[in-house]
Amino acid sequence: MLLVADVHLGKVTHFRKHGAAIPPDAAFKNLEKLTEVSNHFQPKTVCFLGDLFHSKLNTEWHDFAKWVEYTPASVVLINGNHDIIPKYLFEDLGVQIFDSQIIDSFLLTHHPTDHENYFNFCGHVHPGVKLKGSGRQIIRLSCFFKTKQQLILPAFGNFTGKYTLAPTQDAEIYVIADGEVMHVSA
Amino acid sequence: MKQTELINIAETWFDEKGWTAFPFQKKTWKAFLQGKHGLLNAPTGSGKTYALWVPIVLNYLKNNPNYKTQKPKGLKAIWITPLRALSVEIQQAAQRFAEELETGLTVGIRTGDTSQNERAKQKRNMPDLLITTPESLMLLLASKGYKKVFQSVTAVVVDEWHELLGSKRGVQMELGLSRLKTIAPQLRIWGISATIGNLEQAQNVLLGMDETFRANAVLIKANLKKKVKVSSIIPKKMETFPWRGHLGLHLLDQLIPIIKGSKTTLIFTNTRGQCEIWFQKILEKYPEFAGEIAMHHGSINKETRLWVEQAIRNESLTAVVATSSLDLGVDFAPVETIVQIGGPKGIAKFLQRAGRSNHRPGEPSVIHFLPTHAIELIEASALRKAVKEDVMEDRIPYLLSFDVLIQYLVTLAVSDGFRPQEIFPEIKNTFCYQGITEAQWQWCLNFITLGSQSLQAYDEYKRVTITEDGLLKVESRQTAMMHRLSIGTIVSDTMIQVKYVTGGFIGTIEEYFIGKMKPGDTFVFAGRTLELVRLRNMVAQVRRSNKRSKNIVSFMGGRMSLSSQMSEILRNELQDARLHIDKNKVGQEADHKRNTPELKALSHIFERQEQESTVPRNDEFLIETFKTREGYHHLFYPFEGRFVHQAMGGVLAYRISLLSPITFSLAYNDYGFELLSDQPMDIQEVLDNNLFSTDYLFSDLQKSLNATELARRKFRDVAVISGLVFTGYPSKQIKTKHLQSNSQLLFDVFRDYEPDNLLYQQAFRETFEHQLEEGRLRLALERIATQTVVWRPCEKPTPFSFPIITDRLREKLSSEKLKDRIKKMTLLLNK
Repeated sequence: MLLVADVHLGKVTHFRKHGAAIPPDAAFKNLEKLTEVSNHFQPKTVCFLGDLFHSKLNTEWHDFAKWVEYTPASVVLINGNHDIIPKYLFEDLGVQIFDSQIIDSFLLTHHPTDHENYFNFCGHVHPGVKLKGSGRQIIRLSCFFKTKQQLILPAFGNFTGKYTLAPTQDAEIYVIADGEVMHVSA
Repeated sequence: MKQTELINIAETWFDEKGWTAFPFQKKTWKAFLQGKHGLLNAPTGSGKTYALWVPIVLNYLKNNPNYKTQKPKGLKAIWITPLRALSVEIQQAAQRFAEELETGLTVGIRTGDTSQNERAKQKRNMPDLLITTPESLMLLLASKGYKKVFQSVTAVVVDEWHELLGSKRGVQMELGLSRLKTIAPQLRIWGISATIGNLEQAQNVLLGMDETFRANAVLIKANLKKKVKVSSIIPKKMETFPWRGHLGLHLLDQLIPIIKGSKTTLIFTNTRGQCEIWFQKILEKYPEFAGEIAMHHGSINKETRLWVEQAIRNESLTAVVATSSLDLGVDFAPVETIVQIGGPKGIAKFLQRAGRSNHRPGEPSVIHFLPTHAIELIEASALRKAVKEDVMEDRIPYLLSFDVLIQYLVTLAVSDGFRPQEIFPEIKNTFCYQGITEAQWQWCLNFITLGSQSLQAYDEYKRVTITEDGLLKVESRQTAMMHRLSIGTIVSDTMIQVKYVTGGFIGTIEEYFIGKMKPGDTFVFAGRTLELVRLRNMVAQVRRSNKRSKNIVSFMGGRMSLSSQMSEILRNELQDARLHIDKNKVGQEADHKRNTPELKALSHIFERQEQESTVPRNDEFLIETFKTREGYHHLFYPFEGRFVHQAMGGVLAYRISLLSPITFSLAYNDYGFELLSDQPMDIQEVLDNNLFSTDYLFSDLQKSLNATELARRKFRDVAVISGLVFTGYPSKQIKTKHLQSNSQLLFDVFRDYEPDNLLYQQAFRETFEHQLEEGRLRLALERIATQTVVWRPCEKPTPFSFPIITDRLREKLSSEKLKDRIKKMTLLLNK
């Protein structure tokens, strides 16, 4: 299973519809990237951890429909706060929708959810961290944010931004830098 | 009526008041009545309002001999002021003249403060003279049937044109005028400007490229020169006076006798934080001043400010601690003494402040300069020379600001719609867009109608639609509403509200300052240390912080760079200091004639500098290196002003980083810049590789990350003005939250997907032209090429280096792979 959080499809088009001229190419890139990763990993299932679509239906939906048809994997969506597109439209494409899902000892949700018995995979936050080096350098990067019972995934979409988190004592942080995932420590 | 008769009317009125018209006023009256356009160079409080309002009224009388019985309806004149606060004063002056001559002319104000009700009333029946701001004028152009409103206008007066000129509000003004020229055939265009270095250019920008307008124009100078004397407050104990700092509180005790010796004293500070701290500290140490001193700055509510201004006029206050809020407008006769705390950087600003004191005839106005740290005393010495030699800075007008053009085109589309073939010649005739190409024009049209340059049909982009008969029009009411709300967003320094996360309004600060900060950064404002939590809807949410922060809120005065003339004077001052040291060395008496009190006071610091490193000679370029706990410091001293240093630091860092992977953080002030790194670099290698060369300067400048970071900041304005980012209206809730994005994110998206976008490129161009001053950088590098490099490895920080290395606002440049950098970094535990 491939887990992907916060793609925010349709955001570029949504902005354009309201008169903000974001480059339309940015919209296609998300699906291209999605195709790339699913071709690479060949998962049985692609599971979106919420906020797959940014808002209402727009032309990006058709591109998504084509992608669902194209991909051999089955597609699952865990509902997020931005997902306001009617359920039946997804179901017509063969996409299954859940509010949350439990698989073995794993709990898949959109919002980070603490649970004693399950390890939680989630999105929503768009996590990022700040790194500090000598010579007063500071950089900010998207990251996977893991605590004992939880892994918050970075936002997959390219027009999404990030929210800087303060690392806690027990957190393990994996930043994304130059196309690689790297572990960093405090 | 003949011209002389008309002028007699005005002179009689002046006589009745016991006034005499100044020659410049009469000259302006005559020129206006002859139908000329022009620029009036006159300082505040000189009677400039009457210089232009009088002939507007006289012209009305001339053209409407039966004005008493048949008053023609409609707007006659527009008075543009950059500051809402000044409009009331102009209205009072204008009304007085109009009423006492029984002309029946009415004067109205229309600004952001004007009520909805009043606006609606005005729209039905315009006053004869409308006093307004550039934004409100644009809003009028965005309303239906605007042509009818403006067709009867005979004059536009742009007050404080020097304030608008170097900003995008100035461009907005140029565009507004370009439209008015077409729809109001009787239009005369006049500007009023304080003295700046490029007055003639200022006039040309105002009038545009039309030969007919330029040929029929005059530049009138009031020549009311005030003599200014600069007197520094020199610390009694220079040895213990700090090398760095920004408050200057060490000199509090020495300020008191100055306050006590004068009826009313204005104490100018550069920041509001500084203003608050000074006010509190004076009261703390000298409680007897309670009730006799007051504070005035933009964050204080309007009623209190007006009360303070009135109290100054009544002479009921001994001293007022103020910021730039008291720089403009309002004239205060009773003020006897001016004190400037900290370097004002700009000569013009310094003079403007000095001019706030009303000196007795024949006597110079005295401005006391209170340094906040030792080396700043050189600036006082240099300022004195600048004043003596009458050096004045230029205001550089913007060129090809596509963001403002796009906003303007949508404005026209929102009101009555426009035809490109009619508007293009008007645009081409403005100073700002004289160089616009057909291709760029088409790009702008595509941007507002298609949202891109590729002609994809299935896209849902909607902003401006083209009707069947070729009219460009906004049809969506939401788009129109959002556009009107965002017109006010061109403010040269956007003000941001500062509030606690829990609510509670603290005040307002310039966007420029907060724009440089990241959440988690701390700053001092209103005497408190605050941590920025987030920036949202023009509100900076903060919480109190226990951390010590040296990052005090800075305003205009803090960020001005020394102008090139001023830098040169500063370098000469240094040579005088140098001379002093040399003479002492050989046991000679110093040359007292050339030695200002400031330089004398600084002598021990220069000696220390000479001992640790050196005070460079005119033909020398100083480089210092040393190591501290923070890393390896490399300091360079071109003495060219902070903007040039910022650029030079970026280029040098970039060029060094090409030699081997290295990461720098950059800091700079008006004297020099620093490259701080976690590894030492070989200065000899820098020199051997000729890294100060002017070859490939432009491309290196562009590649230095520095430029990208700066462009990213400039892009914020560009994105807001062009409507890419909707910020809503300050202090009003936005209901369109789902349409918010931040300009940072957009900048990255454009970089990755549309790097040839004109708006994206404009951010870079503005950075080079207005921030990094590429032209000056080139000259500075050429100068350095003729100098001998003196490289001094030092044991510890030197007096020259101290103010630079302690600066916390920094930029980065790195050629190391991100991966390698991260390996050396640690997670920041706070946000």
